[in-house]
Amino acid sequence: MLYRILEFSDLLRRNGLRVSVPENMDAASALELVGVGDRGAFKSALRAALVKQASDAKTFDELFDLFFLGLGGKAREMDEELMRQLGMTPAEFQAMLDALEKFLENLDGEISALTRALLTGDMGEVERLLREAAEAARGENMGMRVLMFAQGIGDRIGIEGIRAEIENLKTLLGRGGAPPELIEKMAQYAEQRMRNLMQLVRDLARRETDQKDPARSERERPDYLSQKSFIYFTEDDIRKMNEVVVRLARRFKNRLSLRRKHARRGRLDVSATFRKNLQYGGVPFRIKLDRRKKEKPEVVVLCDISDSVLNASRFMLQFVYSVQDLYSKVRSFVFVSDIGEVTKLFEEHEIHQAVEKALRGDVIDVYSHSNFGRAFELFYRHHWTAITPKTTVLVIGDGRNNYNRANDWVLKEIRSKAKQLVWLNPESRMTWGYGDSEMPRYAQHCSVVEECRNILQLYRLIDRIAA
Amino acid sequence: MFQSVDDVVARLAGERYICSRDLATVVYLACAMRKPILVEGPAGVGKTELGKVIARALKLDLIRLQCYEGLDEAKALYEWEYAKQLLYTQVLKDKIGEVLEGAKGLREAVERIAQEDDVFFSDRFLLPRPLLRALLAPEAIVLLIDEIDKSDTEFEAFLLEILSDFQVSVPELGTLKAKHVPLVVLTSNNSREMSDALKRRCLHLYIDFPDVAREMEIIRLKVPDADQKLAAEVVELLHRLRKLDLKKRPSISESLDWVKALTLLNVKTLDDGLVTETLSTIMKYEADVRKAQDELKEYLAVRKAKSGQPAAASDKDLLN
Ligand SMILES: Nc1ncnc2c1ncn2[C@@H]1O[C@H](COP(=O)(O)OP(=O)(O)OP(=O)(O)O)[C@@H](O)[C@H]1O
Ligand SMILES: [Mg+2]
Repeated sequence: MLYRILEFSDLLRRNGLRVSVPENMDAASALELVGVGDRGAFKSALRAALVKQASDAKTFDELFDLFFLGLGGKAREMDEELMRQLGMTPAEFQAMLDALEKFLENLDGEISALTRALLTGDMGEVERLLREAAEAARGENMGMRVLMFAQGIGDRIGIEGIRAEIENLKTLLGRGGAPPELIEKMAQYAEQRMRNLMQLVRDLARRETDQKDPARSERERPDYLSQKSFIYFTEDDIRKMNEVVVRLARRFKNRLSLRRKHARRGRLDVSATFRKNLQYGGVPFRIKLDRRKKEKPEVVVLCDISDSVLNASRFMLQFVYSVQDLYSKVRSFVFVSDIGEVTKLFEEHEIHQAVEKALRGDVIDVYSHSNFGRAFELFYRHHWTAITPKTTVLVIGDGRNNYNRANDWVLKEIRSKAKQLVWLNPESRMTWGYGDSEMPRYAQHCSVVEECRNILQLYRLIDRIAA
Repeated sequence: MFQSVDDVVARLAGERYICSRDLATVVYLACAMRKPILVEGPAGVGKTELGKVIARALKLDLIRLQCYEGLDEAKALYEWEYAKQLLYTQVLKDKIGEVLEGAKGLREAVERIAQEDDVFFSDRFLLPRPLLRALLAPEAIVLLIDEIDKSDTEFEAFLLEILSDFQVSVPELGTLKAKHVPLVVLTSNNSREMSDALKRRCLHLYIDFPDVAREMEIIRLKVPDADQKLAAEVVELLHRLRKLDLKKRPSISESLDWVKALTLLNVKTLDDGLVTETLSTIMKYEADVRKAQDELKEYLAVRKAKSGQPAAASDKDLLN
């Protein structure tokens, strides 16, 4: 059994799951406990031991069926399904198969081996023939993708020919003089069998290809996107990146809460204890522990949502949303020329809706021209209390101010009051300071200023933000 | 211990917990293999409850460690009772005086006190927190570590140490080893991903929202006096709501609460005006309430259109 499990784990790994050796051992001992007779428990046991991430469960389920039921087992399931669809009892079903077999015997020589095996329900033979075809198809082209491989197998077995044979049989059956209902059933049956065959070919291809299947590579797209500039993202790209965004947000959170990790256990603070207990004549009744105060980092985000950076903002707002979701102490603002708070909006809506609402002008006028200076000044006037010495302030924007007053004094104020001021610019560093870009002026007040044009940069940048 | 998978199903049902065979298999294995279970799933699907019912079904004591941001060793494992130590030094002032008698200078006094160190750092002054209590328990117990995802990654690493050897070393006392390996249930709402190392050590269980039949069964069990037809309608509606893009999807706790409330108010059908009003009690967010109300209206409209036909077949389906 262990060997089968190792083989199966290997299949899981090829499909992108992470399975370790101890987990294989667990799977083996779990199977000893539940036995192999109870298929449901067998599957649950393997899943619990090998799959540790809910999002992998679906892949596991599919591969499990393929691997453990095998093509033969799968075919038996198909038989049962067929009986249900045709509304026949097993006895009736068997009688029909017998009738078909007799009929096919009389046709001897005019029908392919595969069609015969398929229609008489000889699934062992079907499997053998399919594997033969798969071997041959593989020889032609190593490392093919699943669909191509399936096509290869299909070509080998001459799937078009089989389809034609089956169509032809349906007509022949009609001439055989059998009762019309039975003929009707047989025709339905033959058609279903054709579908079964296609399914088996696909399954076989899936199991035997070394390549990951195309559906998975779709899921892995965020990685390909990691170096694509936000500006070229489509709306759809961004929506797909939920997971990435959440991962980034966690990383950011972990980074900011690093500092307090060092105080694990409170120490007796001698002098504080002494002071506290002077009132009891120095008898230390009340203890002061030097448990460093748990610092909950605070974050204030100011995100530019003007047209020039629209897609970058769409992505960054998702990031901001996720950060806010993880943390209690985040306040989020968006600005163009006005500035408005979106903290509550983010709290109340699901991510994509929240972001779209913010971008659509539910909070501020989004059709005005960018005016960082004005937005900063308004922030200073109306939201200044948001900033405390513990705050990390994150500004996201291109710093293109339409030649308005820069008002960088606000940033100077922020810098002196807050813990740190971080500016992320979705524009290439090469262009900062040209045209209406006020970046050099703004940058001098920031603790960290970075170009942040793609996910990879954002990822690296998070590490540079001080704890 | 449980005898088999079916035994788990039966005994949890005895504790009024309805579970699938999948869930029961994992619980059975965890008990038999002495492995922690990491339970994940949306809020309110019965993760915490699972830990509790396992303890009840096995007639074992339950020790619960609730995790939160900033939880540290002192709160989870043990603390020294400084106050008690100090009180003792005061009460035993005279005795201490004797020990110190004739000591020349501060250094020697400190030296002598140090020799009596272990009097002050003994079990007597040790305040065990849940994890240590779990290790020191004289009988096997169930240790429920709830909402592990709320704790910091550093605490998770510390926990990993404990879960691998079931022993801790207290510098002043030496190594304390568990007499019985506790049955550990960890729950997570997935607000943070757990480390691979922790996951490797556990059997994994994902609890999803129940299907209609199971949810009906849970309601029948927990709110026995609820009108069955009403309950069926509520469940059907909730299943529709769970498909919407909501900020927080209503869970089993919400369906239980709602059915209870409606039963108390003597509501018999979802057409009742009270339904719309009470809908807000199961939704946390304004925007969600609005969406739920729209969905309710649509649901009622569809049902009305159908009700021209003989007695709503869908309700019957739900009951069977
Ligand atoms: N399978 C079940 N059988 C009976 N009652 C259940 C079941 N599942 C959940 N419940 C009930 O639903 C309520 C919520 O369960 P519980 O608090 O355990 O959820 P949870 O998953 O821990 O949620 P959270 O993530 O919010 O902590 C409890 O009252 C529990 O009794
Ligand atoms: Mg809980």
